[in-house]
Amino acid sequence: MLTFVVRRLLLAIPVLLGVIFVVMLTVELIPGDAVALMLGEHATREAVAALRDFLGLDKPLPVRYVEYVGRLARGDLGRSMQQNRPVIDELADAWPATLQLTMVALALAAVVGVAAGVVSAVWPNGVFDALARIGALLGLSMPIFWIGLVLIVVFSLWLPWFPVGGAGSPSHLVLPAVTLALPSIAMVARMTRSSVLEVLREDYVRTARAKGVAERLVVAKHALRNAFIPIVTLLGLQAGQLMGGAVLTETVFAWPGLGRLMVKAIFARDYVLLQGAVLVFALAFVVVNLIVDLSYGALDPRISRQG
Amino acid sequence: MTTRIRLARAGVLALAGLLALGALSAPAWAQKRGGTLTIVRPTDPVSLDPQLETTAPGAWVYYNMLEPLLALDEKMQLQLKLAASYEVLSPTKVRFKLRPGVKFHDGTPLNAAAVKFSFDRALKGTPPARWASLAGSLAGAEVVDDLTVDVVTKEPYGPILRTLAMTYPSIVSPTAVQKLGQDFSRAPVGTGPFKFVEWKTNTHVIIERNPDYWGDKALLDRVVFKVVPEEGARMIALQTGDADMVLLPSPAQLPALKKDPKFTVHEVVGGRVVFAGIHAGLAPTDDARVRAAMLHAVDRKTILENIMEGSAVPARGVLAPSVFGFKDMGLDRQYPFDRAKAKALLAQAGWTPGADGIMQKGGQKLTVSWIAARGRYPKDGEITEAIQAMFKEVGIDAKVQFLEWGTVFQQVRGATLSYNMFTLGWVTTNADADYSLYALFHSKQTPPTGWNTSRYANPKVDALVEQARKSLNQSEREKLYAEVQDILAKDMVWIPVYNTKEIVVTRASVKGFTVHPVEYNLGLWKTWLDK
Repeated sequence: MLTFVVRRLLLAIPVLLGVIFVVMLTVELIPGDAVALMLGEHATREAVAALRDFLGLDKPLPVRYVEYVGRLARGDLGRSMQQNRPVIDELADAWPATLQLTMVALALAAVVGVAAGVVSAVWPNGVFDALARIGALLGLSMPIFWIGLVLIVVFSLWLPWFPVGGAGSPSHLVLPAVTLALPSIAMVARMTRSSVLEVLREDYVRTARAKGVAERLVVAKHALRNAFIPIVTLLGLQAGQLMGGAVLTETVFAWPGLGRLMVKAIFARDYVLLQGAVLVFALAFVVVNLIVDLSYGALDPRISRQG
Repeated sequence: MTTRIRLARAGVLALAGLLALGALSAPAWAQKRGGTLTIVRPTDPVSLDPQLETTAPGAWVYYNMLEPLLALDEKMQLQLKLAASYEVLSPTKVRFKLRPGVKFHDGTPLNAAAVKFSFDRALKGTPPARWASLAGSLAGAEVVDDLTVDVVTKEPYGPILRTLAMTYPSIVSPTAVQKLGQDFSRAPVGTGPFKFVEWKTNTHVIIERNPDYWGDKALLDRVVFKVVPEEGARMIALQTGDADMVLLPSPAQLPALKKDPKFTVHEVVGGRVVFAGIHAGLAPTDDARVRAAMLHAVDRKTILENIMEGSAVPARGVLAPSVFGFKDMGLDRQYPFDRAKAKALLAQAGWTPGADGIMQKGGQKLTVSWIAARGRYPKDGEITEAIQAMFKEVGIDAKVQFLEWGTVFQQVRGATLSYNMFTLGWVTTNADADYSLYALFHSKQTPPTGWNTSRYANPKVDALVEQARKSLNQSEREKLYAEVQDILAKDMVWIPVYNTKEIVVTRASVKGFTVHPVEYNLGLWKTWLDK
């Protein structure tokens, strides 16, 4: 088990090295020069040259790559080019906010989505099922940006229950978390419904029912546990999705997270800051995938034996 | 006896009258102290130190904490700030007497050494400050005695006073810079009416009243600058009362807000001119008659009314009226919207209408290529398309190419420009005509050196702007710039379209606030809350 975890974490290193290279190359290829953007249109050529030299941007890409990785190996993420502030400080400011938002949204997606899916599957084609399916369709097709603004208008402007935006108290978290979770709730509900429906048709469920196990237990123990593997996979994927989707939610709700930090870094062509942010995302993906793999083993002992 | 009583009574009456008068006019002076003003704006600062940021998100905040030697008031007149007086000693040297007894927020005194330190840090640092490019030939400061300092320039530099009145050359506490190092840019220490409290990245910056301020103390206890990136959410925050003031409000909502007594819309003509630039060195726009025809072909009134919807005013020349040296070019008089006139000018230049309505000369169509970005300046794309359609009406075929701003920037600043036209905006940052007339129209400022994107070359203009740049006699400079603008109005290498407005919306309870023509000068020390 431990060797498995360590091996997986070590495998993440080439992934991260690749990610860094792709980010650097992308920033290099998109038009617009970081220094010109930083100094604005009025900058003199001498000023641009001086700053470029200071930031080391006059060096070729491979050299900068090696230098960056070298510093990274010593645990130094560098300084934000635009603000001249340690990237680690910037990340430390933004990362907890995104983590908090993502975790709450993920929990909402898991609890509400699974519950709705199970109810739909147990009483398929009923009233609740019909409503849940329409709800899921809406949740999947409404853009986050729009849902967010509608929620603000309804729950901040008309009914003054929640603040318009910002962070600080639990009440600040409600609207952004719901906005972010809605599409995931819809997806999880649909996946749960079909997965549970499928399992409920399996022979062992019929056997369980035949030997007189209560329906509640049939669903909870026999069906759900077996239906969970695709759901857990989906939740893992959703965790990644949510972090990505957080960019829009963070913008609408003025949530001070990593997504907005990244957008800011892209507009400023601040590749050092951008890399730091992307590294955190990449690491999070690796960890989530690892957790998903480990939970397979917990759900189905056959998988853990194959290691 | 009776007379005395009567006199006394008259006296009492007079006194009562005075009191009554006082009571009547009291509301105008009944400024309330205290309270917290919450401001929402779209982005977090890059830095709170002009060393690292010269754009609005940072400047809006530090303008209230850091002070330069001079300043421009809301009427764009030069005012003394940290300077008690100044005297022009020579064309390259201005002597400043500092205000005595001024202290930085950390308690250390403001003196000549601090001025020298601030200028050295900005101009001689590696890399130099972000604003060093804006400071022309400013070379630094020399200490004369504790409260006397000479500001020197590398060469005679007429715009020096307005350069020093920008917010960027503010004087910072040397002690704090040395103590805080890199962190100074996140917790600046100056002499201003507000001092720094807290900055939570992407959430808010808080500043509070400086109780030891040398001048009239601020009325507000605190100001909170919140970040709300989404325009709709910003406007809702104002409506719910989560915010008292919105910067960069949604233009579409302004007409409704102006009618609503719960809000106040503050606006003033700003400093940026958005224009369609014309390449003066590339056929067919190298012909002044073709350029004049283009100006006659454009109906600016329609553009302002239908596209800008009251969020801007017509440009009155190549400069904004708030700039020192501005002269109204009388564009509506010299180049009224007149399609017949435009066609006549084109005919004079040898262009005759072709079968498809496009003008032709020797089998060649009158086609102009045009490069523009979308969203760099308010409605830049829409304006470009509108002018394109107006050109067509007089037989000019404009081929517009919309590209990303970074690419447009590279093209117009490149050594060769292969487009006849480009849509750009320009703000005269130091509010001195030199900053625009020299940088935009002197032949030596042709890219890649400078911003003469029209590739305009006129020895007369070169001589005049050089002379004005070297002179420190401001009335002489004003005359020279007027002359330059008269020449430019004849040669016309721009179609000036609109002049921005600076617009701030507050709740009606916000009093005493005046919006400044310079976008970044968001002074809050006279603002108070009536709630």
